[in-house]
Amino acid sequence: MLEVKNLRKTFGDLTAVEDVSFTIRPGDIMGLIGQNGAGKTTTFRIILDLLTADEGEVLWENKHLSKKIFNKIGYLPEERGLYPKVSIENQILYFAQLRGKKKSEISPLIDDWLKKFDVKGKKTDKVKTLSKGNQQKVQLICTLIHEPELIILDEPFSGLDPVNAELLEEGIREAQGKGARIIFSSHNMNNVEELCDSLIMLKNGRQVLHGAVRDIREQFGRTKLFLESDLSREALLEFPGVQRVEKNRDGIDIVYLTQADEGKAIFEVATRNGYIPTFSQQPPTLEEIFKRMAGERNE
Amino acid sequence: MNKFWVITKEVYKKNIKSFGFIVMVLIPLIIMGFIAGMTYYFSQEAQNAEPTPIAVVTDDPALQELFSDEEWNFEIAEDITTEEDAETALTAEDIEGYMVINTDAQTLQAEIVHANELSNQIPIITEVLTNYQTMLRADDLELAPEQVMSLTEPVEVEETVVSIEEGALTEEDTTDRMIQEWSAYAVSIAIMAFIMTYSGIIAEEVANEKGTRIMEIILSSATATNHFFGKLVGVIMVMLTQIAIYAAVGFGAYLYFRDTDFVQGLIGEMDIMGMLQELLGYTLIFFVAGVLIYVILAAFFGSLATKMEDVNKAVTPIVFIALAGFYVGLFAFTSPENTLAVVFSYIPLFTPFVMPFRIASGTVATSGIWLSIVGTVGFAALISAVALAFYRSNVLVYSDTNILGTIKRSWNIMQSNKKARRQRDA
Repeated sequence: MLEVKNLRKTFGDLTAVEDVSFTIRPGDIMGLIGQNGAGKTTTFRIILDLLTADEGEVLWENKHLSKKIFNKIGYLPEERGLYPKVSIENQILYFAQLRGKKKSEISPLIDDWLKKFDVKGKKTDKVKTLSKGNQQKVQLICTLIHEPELIILDEPFSGLDPVNAELLEEGIREAQGKGARIIFSSHNMNNVEELCDSLIMLKNGRQVLHGAVRDIREQFGRTKLFLESDLSREALLEFPGVQRVEKNRDGIDIVYLTQADEGKAIFEVATRNGYIPTFSQQPPTLEEIFKRMAGERNE
Repeated sequence: MNKFWVITKEVYKKNIKSFGFIVMVLIPLIIMGFIAGMTYYFSQEAQNAEPTPIAVVTDDPALQELFSDEEWNFEIAEDITTEEDAETALTAEDIEGYMVINTDAQTLQAEIVHANELSNQIPIITEVLTNYQTMLRADDLELAPEQVMSLTEPVEVEETVVSIEEGALTEEDTTDRMIQEWSAYAVSIAIMAFIMTYSGIIAEEVANEKGTRIMEIILSSATATNHFFGKLVGVIMVMLTQIAIYAAVGFGAYLYFRDTDFVQGLIGEMDIMGMLQELLGYTLIFFVAGVLIYVILAAFFGSLATKMEDVNKAVTPIVFIALAGFYVGLFAFTSPENTLAVVFSYIPLFTPFVMPFRIASGTVATSGIWLSIVGTVGFAALISAVALAFYRSNVLVYSDTNILGTIKRSWNIMQSNKKARRQRDA
């Protein structure tokens, strides 16, 4: 179990993170979201012991996380980097050795991993001959091949096409199945919604959201109504709880409510003649929540 | 395997296999081979040179004979007997020059006209003619050959070079001193060459890993100490490999060529073993300490660069310091007792360049030498400690400001971490 308790880190006058706490159990995936400069990288660096927190602590199995567990970590930094002149195979072996693995343990696995991630190229090819996407996949293999128990991925999806993103998702799920604790940051809320059990949103170093993805969305109320009926826009706007009405490309009305309860009244009227194809009352998407939270207090 | 050795091995392997290393090793060999080849070619050329055709116009046939000796490598045109003929022949380029020598009583007077082909021989020609004149006059004075000898006998001059050490004069072997001076010279050039190449290599190693964020992966796998010294030892091993290659090639070439006349002519006078002994003494200590200090500094400055493109900018200060040291060293070569040279010889960054010259000239006492060695080694240890302390936080700073800005921010991170750790441990 990874426990992060009340982290606080300042650099001179700047407070980079303040009171950040979370727990990740084996097999859990946590998403860390926030705008650029919100404190995500600082949080990662504190967990990785590259920085020391002013206050708070990081516990691994109830003990201080120290260099003793370095071998159990898999870390993918935001900006990808590999040695361009080294072969794929040697690159993977080097990083694995730095994580305390023997060459003989890792060597037989390389072919399978390259196949799993569909890396184009031979393992004797130099990294610089690969395309950017393939380099990124090699770096992912370097992060995962030593079967880490704590996996930290900084923006793992950026720059991957949908096919490769799915390969990555599979890779993350596989590690999850083996009981790894996984944290990743992303700007793509769809990835976060799909993969994460829980999430944290940082804003100016503070934790503004924390919890299971479903709970967080519900917390905002089911204020978004997808409706396909014979009610006109004007008719909808006459309901007291309706803020605004938009039509999406498929001709479905999106009705924004001030209160989730208002939905009932609309439902009664819309179904007065019986069947309608769409009535779906949803909480806001993560993306909408993200934008709303990021925007608040800055205005 | 220990992570330190994993890093060392990787650095070593990567560099040894690189094209740059092969070029770096080969270029000096090619240049040296080229110079040796040219020297050999020209010396062969000189031996096989065609004799220079000249004319000697004189009444005294003995004089003509004097210049027909094989050593001169002249081809005397015996059919030319007048100045006019000689001039015509020179104009027609049948001869390269001519001498008109008049003997008036016991006085020789010579005029040499040439197309700039005889310039090198003029002093010898003058000497030979002077001797001939001496002989003529001695004959006239009816001196016996012994009397002539006693007149022309040169003064006996005996030279003893001493070094003044602890109030006593000790005799010094001049060849020994020359060897020392030249090995000091060789070492300062070698230090300069190795600093230039290897400070670049290590700074690039570090900056590359920082710029690509590989550093963050590495520092979450191994300690900064392991990484810093792993890199350092790796690069130093690459350097030792280069030196070993040169030593092997040099020794091989020596064994293969030592019996040829040409090589004998070059090194016959030199005491190879003596030179090696000199090199293996203090000089080696200064070489090792000097390169080490600069390589550590380069690793530090490399960790300040944010991008690969900034590496050159980051190592510029080191190159300048080294250049300054190199020039003070050359200055100390000519005036080892100058105050500037003396002062610089005790400043750690300059010691390796300056002190060998002072040792060679015998202007420093043994205690002074050891003082400078202790200073240099102590300084090397000190800057490794400082560089390492900064290294951990340097690699996390990606500012676009200048180097001083980076150092400042890095210092802040370092202090913040230190404070945090003290609080945690308290």
